[in-house]
Amino acid sequence: MSDKPDAELLQSVWAEARDLVKKLEGSTVQRFAVQAGDCKIEIERGMPTAPPAAIDSNGMQPITTPIAAGAGPGPGVAPEARAASGVFSAIGAEVDNRVPVLAPLVGTFYRSSGPDAKPFCEVGDVVEAGQVVCIVEAMKLMNEVTAPEKGKVAEIAVENGDPVEFDQVLVYLEPAE
Amino acid sequence: MFEKVLIANRGEIAVRVARACRELGIKSVAVYSRADAESAVVRIADEAVNIGPPAVGKSYLHIPNIIGAALKTGADAVHPGYGFLSEDPYFAEICADSGLTFIGPRPEVMERVGDKAIARELMQDAGLPLLPGTIEPVATADAAQEIADGIGYPVIIKAVAGGGGRGMNVVWKREDLVRLYTTTRATAQAIFKNSAVYIERYLPAPRHTEVQLICDSQGNGAYFYERDCSVQRRHQKLIEEAPSIHLNAEQRRDIGERAVKGALSVGYTGAGTMEFLLDEDGSLYFMEMNARIQVEHPVSEMITGVDLIQEQIRVASGEALSVKQEDIQLSGHAIECRVNAENPANNFAPAAGRLDTYVAPGGPWTRVDSHCYPGWMISPYYDSLIAKLIVWAPDRLSAIERMERSLREFQIDGRGIHTTIPFHLSVLADEQFRSGEVSTNFLEGFMERQQQVAAA
Repeated sequence: MSDKPDAELLQSVWAEARDLVKKLEGSTVQRFAVQAGDCKIEIERGMPTAPPAAIDSNGMQPITTPIAAGAGPGPGVAPEARAASGVFSAIGAEVDNRVPVLAPLVGTFYRSSGPDAKPFCEVGDVVEAGQVVCIVEAMKLMNEVTAPEKGKVAEIAVENGDPVEFDQVLVYLEPAE
Repeated sequence: MFEKVLIANRGEIAVRVARACRELGIKSVAVYSRADAESAVVRIADEAVNIGPPAVGKSYLHIPNIIGAALKTGADAVHPGYGFLSEDPYFAEICADSGLTFIGPRPEVMERVGDKAIARELMQDAGLPLLPGTIEPVATADAAQEIADGIGYPVIIKAVAGGGGRGMNVVWKREDLVRLYTTTRATAQAIFKNSAVYIERYLPAPRHTEVQLICDSQGNGAYFYERDCSVQRRHQKLIEEAPSIHLNAEQRRDIGERAVKGALSVGYTGAGTMEFLLDEDGSLYFMEMNARIQVEHPVSEMITGVDLIQEQIRVASGEALSVKQEDIQLSGHAIECRVNAENPANNFAPAAGRLDTYVAPGGPWTRVDSHCYPGWMISPYYDSLIAKLIVWAPDRLSAIERMERSLREFQIDGRGIHTTIPFHLSVLADEQFRSGEVSTNFLEGFMERQQQVAAA
């Protein structure tokens, strides 16, 4: 697919999928798909107690990415989609194996400890569990954000200097083999 | 006027503020913890920011995250609602330092008004009547004995830093004074980290009577009449009414004017409430001032026709009060019932869960302030308030009947959910309640009578 799915369409497909997930809680339905135009979400439910996993069946860019990347309060992204994005981007990432590093507070994202310092990590770097990958600054205090497990930096999801909210995805790691 | 207001609260009051902002043409920013991601204010506000995990200390009380959210969204003002950070002078100061207008009094005024001992002294200077008692904290047991003997028993010993009924002891007999003085100081130190206490006359059957006021930054103040909040359980209000049927027009005007004068004398700005106790002989005594908008503000709105939240936002932005005292007319009678997710049959234990059914009542002069909707999960992290049901009618008896009608229409159900609706209905049916002869002891007597009826 050459274009990114239309944002509004995406939101309504997501809302539909989410509703269905809720309604199907407790039922024996294992898989279902919601499709509108070029936009399709397939949901496969795993263990009854685990959250449902969202997979993309056409091998295209994970559908969660547009919402996750735009997870700031930009114009035109409804609060509903934004509120859901934290959960769903994490789920999406889980299924394509990427480990999200989430903001532990509200503040400003920085890639390095100062304007002249080297960034803590670059795409492709292998980081250890507990290694500092970035900083979120709040009220002049620099809070180091660490990798939850060993992995390779797959994507820096926000721009240096962007304001971020709690639970917002900052960095994606690919788990170590 | 503000461009954008961040609502530093949750639940029904966040929705209330968001509605006022919408009507004033102000953009609103909701903040939410992970547990509130699906909350009503997140849908109603223009923007929303996730500020932390469910625990209040890490979210709704987490000042850096809230300030961060305000800066991130470019808000120019913060509305603290009630509870949480609404009476935290430190938070008000940080807002100011961060270039945000805190919708409430200035930090130094908030601090003075929040200290009971200081507030009592200030208000006495402004001409408000006080209960016989000390202004200064009582430093020694000997002093306490002398003071209490001078006041006359019964007296009550209260922690200066206390509130909500905690940290106080009533002394009925002279012999118990020293012992209870010592105990109260120790308890105050343990709970509030401040052992200062004061002593005053204790009224056995007072009516909790509070005056709603708003002051602007241009020296104007107005009162919006009083509320009677005597139906309380363990110092938590359950039913509130406006006005108090025990004040005549003269008393009402007098206490309203004194309250405004007292507030202006300390440089108060914004919405506030002065609490009084009304004695059986008709005397009013100042108790404390609440430097915030309160849960029960809707009953005052219903009898005056003034939107207090809009007014609060207006004066915070520097505008003058939009109404003059002579234009604020008192009309009819309003009652509010707090519908909580609690089981009255199980000692009002919280009974939270997912709301499968939620159908609010409607009809003439029937108002519901709530954040709930079918499918909403009432979580264990926050208070148990489901909805405030408020009615207005031309007189008190009609208001009671309208409230009964509305409560019966209210459908709230879900696995594990219990509400206080049946409890409210039985209070409203009670002869003593209907007669209006209600003091802060009413509920205790009412529960005893209920138990006797059940046992019979």
